[in-house]
Amino acid sequence: MIVASILTPLEDLLRHVLNALHSVGLPWAWAIVGLTIIVRMLLVPLTVKQIHSMQNMQAHAPQMKEIQRKYKGDRTKLNEELMKFYKENNINPAASCLPLLAQLPIFIGLFYTLRAFAKNPPGGQAAIDRGDFSWLHFVPDITKHANSHWSGYILLAIYVLSQVASTYFMSGTMQKSQRYLRMILPFVFIPFIVRFPTGLVLYWMTTNLWTVGQGLITRRLIPKVGAPTAATPSGPKRSSRTPPKEAQAAVAEAPDEEPAAAKPSNGPPRRVKRKKKARR
Amino acid sequence: MRYVGVAAVWAYRFTLRPFLGVGQCKYHPSCSQYAIDAYKEFGLFKGTLLAGWRLLRCNPWSRGGVDYARDQKVFR
Repeated sequence: MIVASILTPLEDLLRHVLNALHSVGLPWAWAIVGLTIIVRMLLVPLTVKQIHSMQNMQAHAPQMKEIQRKYKGDRTKLNEELMKFYKENNINPAASCLPLLAQLPIFIGLFYTLRAFAKNPPGGQAAIDRGDFSWLHFVPDITKHANSHWSGYILLAIYVLSQVASTYFMSGTMQKSQRYLRMILPFVFIPFIVRFPTGLVLYWMTTNLWTVGQGLITRRLIPKVGAPTAATPSGPKRSSRTPPKEAQAAVAEAPDEEPAAAKPSNGPPRRVKRKKKARR
Repeated sequence: MRYVGVAAVWAYRFTLRPFLGVGQCKYHPSCSQYAIDAYKEFGLFKGTLLAGWRLLRCNPWSRGGVDYARDQKVFR
């Protein structure tokens, strides 16, 4: 009850935004998608900050790996040492609780809004019959539970896939066990989500797909610092292939230099450098 | 009384956390663990205030770091 009364203003706001989007001409289902996109766009500044800190983290990855190796047995100690390391190197870890918790009222608010929708759809039964609550011609009524029509299961499948994919893209620094848990959880939650209004699944699906898209863009923007270090064991074997590539890069960077001169000076020392990194 | 708070945190951990997709907290211990520690040490009222203050601090503009409930500086 207390929670509901706190959320009422937010519910009203969400309802207003929904109504506004609908009055502009969007069908209700697309209005939900639009609302989700608006919320996620408002969160973009946070994402940019996250990208910066991720870049910073990846630049310090070798040292962090060293700390992780040192305190392998003791999780608590490991976390403490990592935190100290962050502080010393001015790294701001990407994850923080508040922005994540800020999504919770929106989710609950949208749940209430859509439940009120289902109980008392604007326009009544006539609007439902008219197909005002349908989506893409295959979801007949987004106010009904997800398991009331086969289309709900398709949305659920997309939800699960997008959840797994978003976990895959957003879990750069996450521990493996945590990552697996988060990939399994959407499956565990299917029995509960099945009883949610389809519109809510629609929201969750959209927000996950947005996360996936963001993850893909982020991957493009962040150069993989860790990858070349991991590739060193095969370094000597590939040596015949790598120098030309590096020489090409050198040519592209400094066209004045002769490629023949760049080759011997550029190739071997780099490999040594990488080997050192791998040993650390 | 203070275990009401601890129970609430555990309820959150099992039900709502998976939806949020909380990966890692920037503090050590994490916010939920901090809340549990705070409830156990300072009781329901002060614990709630401390946990709330910690959550507010756990934002993208803060530094993060090692921060135990027993080292709090709000109640002296």
